[in-house]
Amino acid sequence: MKAYSLFLAAILLVTGLAACQPAEPINLGLEVPEGDTFSLRIAEDPETLDNVRTTSGAAEAVMALTFLERLIYIDQENVIHGWLAESWAVSDDQREVTFFLRQGIKFTDGNDFNAQAVKFHFDRILDRANASPAKAYFGSLQEAVVLDDYTVKLVFEEPFAGLWNVLNYAYSGFNSPAAVEQWGEEYGRHPVGTGPFMLNEWIPGSRLNFVRNPNYVQVRGDASNPGPALLAQIVFLVIPEDGTAMAALQTGELDASVLNADTLPQVEGKPDFNIYFHENSTSLQFIEFNCEKPPFDDPQFRTALGYAVDRDAIVLASRGGYSTAIYNPLAPGLIGYDEAIGLEYGTPYNPDMARQLLDDLGWVDTDGDGIREKDGEIASFEMWSYTGYTYVPRTLEVIQQNFLDVGIEIEIKLSDWGAFYPSLKRDGLDMDLMRWTWGDMDVMTVLFRSPGHRGHIPEDAELDAVLDAIETTMDFEQRLDLARQAQTLLLGRMLIVPIQADWTMYALSADVRDFHTDYFGYLIAGDLWIEK
Amino acid sequence: MISYILRRLLYLLPVCIGILLVTFLIKAAIPTDAVSMLYSGQLTEETSAEAEAIIRAEFHLDQPALVQFFYYVTDILRGDLGVSVRTREPVIDLIGYRYLNTLKLAFASLAIGVILGVGTGIISAYYKDTFFDVTAMTVSLFGLSMPAFFLGILLILFFCVELRWLPVIGDGSWKHLLLPSLNLGLILSASLARITRSSMLEVLDLEYIRTARAKGLNERLVVFKHALKNALLPVITIIGLQIGGLLGGAFIIENVFAWHGIGELAVKAIIWRDFTITQGIILISAATYVLANLVVDILYQVIDPRVRLAG
Repeated sequence: MKAYSLFLAAILLVTGLAACQPAEPINLGLEVPEGDTFSLRIAEDPETLDNVRTTSGAAEAVMALTFLERLIYIDQENVIHGWLAESWAVSDDQREVTFFLRQGIKFTDGNDFNAQAVKFHFDRILDRANASPAKAYFGSLQEAVVLDDYTVKLVFEEPFAGLWNVLNYAYSGFNSPAAVEQWGEEYGRHPVGTGPFMLNEWIPGSRLNFVRNPNYVQVRGDASNPGPALLAQIVFLVIPEDGTAMAALQTGELDASVLNADTLPQVEGKPDFNIYFHENSTSLQFIEFNCEKPPFDDPQFRTALGYAVDRDAIVLASRGGYSTAIYNPLAPGLIGYDEAIGLEYGTPYNPDMARQLLDDLGWVDTDGDGIREKDGEIASFEMWSYTGYTYVPRTLEVIQQNFLDVGIEIEIKLSDWGAFYPSLKRDGLDMDLMRWTWGDMDVMTVLFRSPGHRGHIPEDAELDAVLDAIETTMDFEQRLDLARQAQTLLLGRMLIVPIQADWTMYALSADVRDFHTDYFGYLIAGDLWIEK
Repeated sequence: MISYILRRLLYLLPVCIGILLVTFLIKAAIPTDAVSMLYSGQLTEETSAEAEAIIRAEFHLDQPALVQFFYYVTDILRGDLGVSVRTREPVIDLIGYRYLNTLKLAFASLAIGVILGVGTGIISAYYKDTFFDVTAMTVSLFGLSMPAFFLGILLILFFCVELRWLPVIGDGSWKHLLLPSLNLGLILSASLARITRSSMLEVLDLEYIRTARAKGLNERLVVFKHALKNALLPVITIIGLQIGGLLGGAFIIENVFAWHGIGELAVKAIIWRDFTITQGIILISAATYVLANLVVDILYQVIDPRVRLAG
């Protein structure tokens, strides 16, 4: 018994001591060049920098503007341009897209960027053993075929019109095949790309230091600096709390941080800071319904609720005025967004119209308590959403009051995203407040093609056909027409009530120059500099 | 004494198994796991379902809960806390340096809390009902009532933003450690000051203290040797409990000061539904808590030899 006790004590002691060993920072030992350092706040440490293994926002925020470059980019005017690809061609059957790559580009380990590197990347995404989350974004991609050293073809089972969008994300950036093979499972801590910055040091949970790629050549037309980055280093500091980040900005420990409606007033109008707005939002906040459950199965009931929502009040209350009130079922920053459709078919704030529609449906307040009833059922419902963001409860509180003004009572229910999102599939759901960010009009297909992303949208042959065509139509003008049709049909059925599209806002130290972002809100880091 | 310590260490085993079992039952009741969170919001669920299945198989998450539990306990007995589904790193590496950070913060806070709290409590008791006593007890009431994060923000604004004496963020030097430990230490000192004061008042009224004074003993000797030793017993109990709280529950302060400890990791792991990390943290925290209480029990006997260690 004594020996057994000693054995167990030893195990616990060893486990405890092992736990005390600090993790070694990852230091790649690169030479730190002379020059300025720019420090940017991130709220969460990336789990890995291997873009085949992650599509998380935390990793994307670091990878997209430092070491990874993609085949194409979309500029602020929503025009597609070549980046690592000089040009491309779509086959007649629209199932194959051939990219003609730019020559002379090198990875920071000295190896050439070429068609083999492109194939290597897509092979890794398609390899089941990697279980890549990026694979889900590439539609029916079958393979990447090398035609010659600088020509590569992506082959799809079905035409995939969303390709131009997904090629912009960090998971479409290219890693040095030699580095991936050298580091294996550890590659995510030793990434090598072609971009303007190279990872030099990573203290997990604390900071990532990137140094300038001295041989970098910028080819993007929306960038102003054609050569190596003007900064010597970019440092990403992991700061979970907004208040702490604001204090670090004020003390100069940070040069930039994303803002929200709560933190913006702390820097607004102060001479030490500038504020950068990216208003071309690809995010949409909306109310969605269980369209198979009465009374939400009636488009007129949903339309009445749409007229009851005061979007301008929500914009002010939830985002401090820094978002755009939306009437279309598509974010305004997306190719295909047509404001005129929202104005013609949308539901601007009109509580009298909402009351009239509800009266017509037989929902009336018979007992004078301010809440409508119909056939013995009280107009009292649940609206679900997620925790972790102050704009959500603030939006819900305005909606709750708006609905109450027209005789509809809602109970607000919140849970964290992990519990919230799967729970939306249940039959008993009434409605929820959702927000979705995506860079292409096919977001309408993903969310609203029957049965819908949570399974509550009934079959609709006309709408489904248009939404399907959006996914497979490669012709730009045809696709724009489909986007207009889809927006019109969705508003006609009022499957969702669009609310607002939020802006991305950065607080910048006053000495930061040439801070600008592209279509997706990615910082073009090579242009940045600090004025002494 | 040695056999007592070994016996108490042995108690860790059922405690840890019990904790693991409870967390496993909670995990089984939750509909999402780390894999579905990893792919949550994917555009085509059919495609991500394939990838999810591969990862679930790799981590035995497709097995019944009992089998998963068996795998986990077997790994633990080999000293392996498992691998995170999200980061693919060994949990021991993820927890390791953070645990060290949390220990640093906990002990620095404890030192500040004990020095300030016990010191204030003794002086308040000795100078009962004086201006110092009333002020100290009023301030300590504020300390007890004030949310830790609020005090943290005030400290940052004053020492970092206004005076520019200390950095806001980081965990590399004593300068980074000072404010979070002062924050936790001040909160801790509030309760310790009140407990020490009331305990001292009780002891200072006892006959043996009067006897000591009547015998003409030096007042410092009376207070610090005869009174304090007996008054410290309840204080040590509270300190033992607070160590557990500091090691497991400082996550708000860790977040406010961007101090990368296990509390901060625990919050992330819960959001990620990465139960391998959560269980690792719970296990380490529970073991630390038990060990801290063991140290308290031993201290009891050192301070008061009448206390018998049994159990």
